[in-house]
Amino acid sequence: ENSPAPLPERAIYGFALFLGSWFGFILYLIWAYVPETWLFSLGLTYWPQKYWAVALPAYLLVAVGIGYVLLFGINMMSTAPLNSTHTVTDNYAKKQQQKKFQEEAIPALRDIPISEVNRMFFLSEK
Amino acid sequence: MEERRYRSASGVPIALRCLQHSASCRELAVRCPRLQLRSLSAVTSAVWLAAYGLFVLSENSMVLSAAIFFSLIGLIIYLHFVKIDQESLLVIGSLGIQVTSSYASGKESTTFIEMGRVKDVVINEAIHMQKVIYYLCILLQDPGDPQGVSEVVPLFQSSKPRLDCLIEVYKSCQEILEQTKTAPQSN
Repeated sequence: ENSPAPLPERAIYGFALFLGSWFGFILYLIWAYVPETWLFSLGLTYWPQKYWAVALPAYLLVAVGIGYVLLFGINMMSTAPLNSTHTVTDNYAKKQQQKKFQEEAIPALRDIPISEVNRMFFLSEK
Repeated sequence: MEERRYRSASGVPIALRCLQHSASCRELAVRCPRLQLRSLSAVTSAVWLAAYGLFVLSENSMVLSAAIFFSLIGLIIYLHFVKIDQESLLVIGSLGIQVTSSYASGKESTTFIEMGRVKDVVINEAIHMQKVIYYLCILLQDPGDPQGVSEVVPLFQSSKPRLDCLIEVYKSCQEILEQTKTAPQSN
């Protein structure tokens, strides 16, 4: 039911968004460039200050630039420090059940404790 | 008392020394290179040149004396709190593990962990400052859960040896820890 395939409803939403965004863009251009007196003479007096026609794009571009730095910083902050137990185990590994060992079958997938892994890697090189 | 040369994670040469005091007591010390004269003079000249540039711009001679004062204070703080000369690990079977860091000014800071709290000494890998490094750590036992790990104590944090040095230290520690775990508990 949740496939990403094209559907008639999705085509209609897409076309409505396309028309809406073109309308918004033309409206923004008219508001930014047409002098206030002409707009007042048409009777349209309740517009935001023209200052925002330049301020909003400037704010958006600076926000995008800061977003890069912010994302990098959030990544660094959420990396587990070297002394936390999250580098060694987690909730799923603590609560896993031991499955019985069956002959001639592939062993079940499980999280192997770090002591065992270390012994296998570093102590059995004889 | 041989000393073997290795490299740290960032490439500086470090030296590992193994001392066997008795059958169940071993000391492993990693020595970092001393403060180099060329880096010290480079930093000092850079700071004093910047201060001289500020003096030329502002015509205030306090800038020069402040630069001299702060560079002296900064050097003393660096040697006493930051620059580690040697990190050592003393493993005494059935008693505990002692971790010592000696700073360049002569200060030594020691931590002792008794053997009852130690679950294992392992080589773990983790992400550290856009790199993945191997580091040795002591896993402390969770008192409520025999399989659980309550805390991770990383070792050799400032010298950061590479995997070959860590494997040597790991094998040494595991020999002693095996004796402790298989010997009958007398408590």
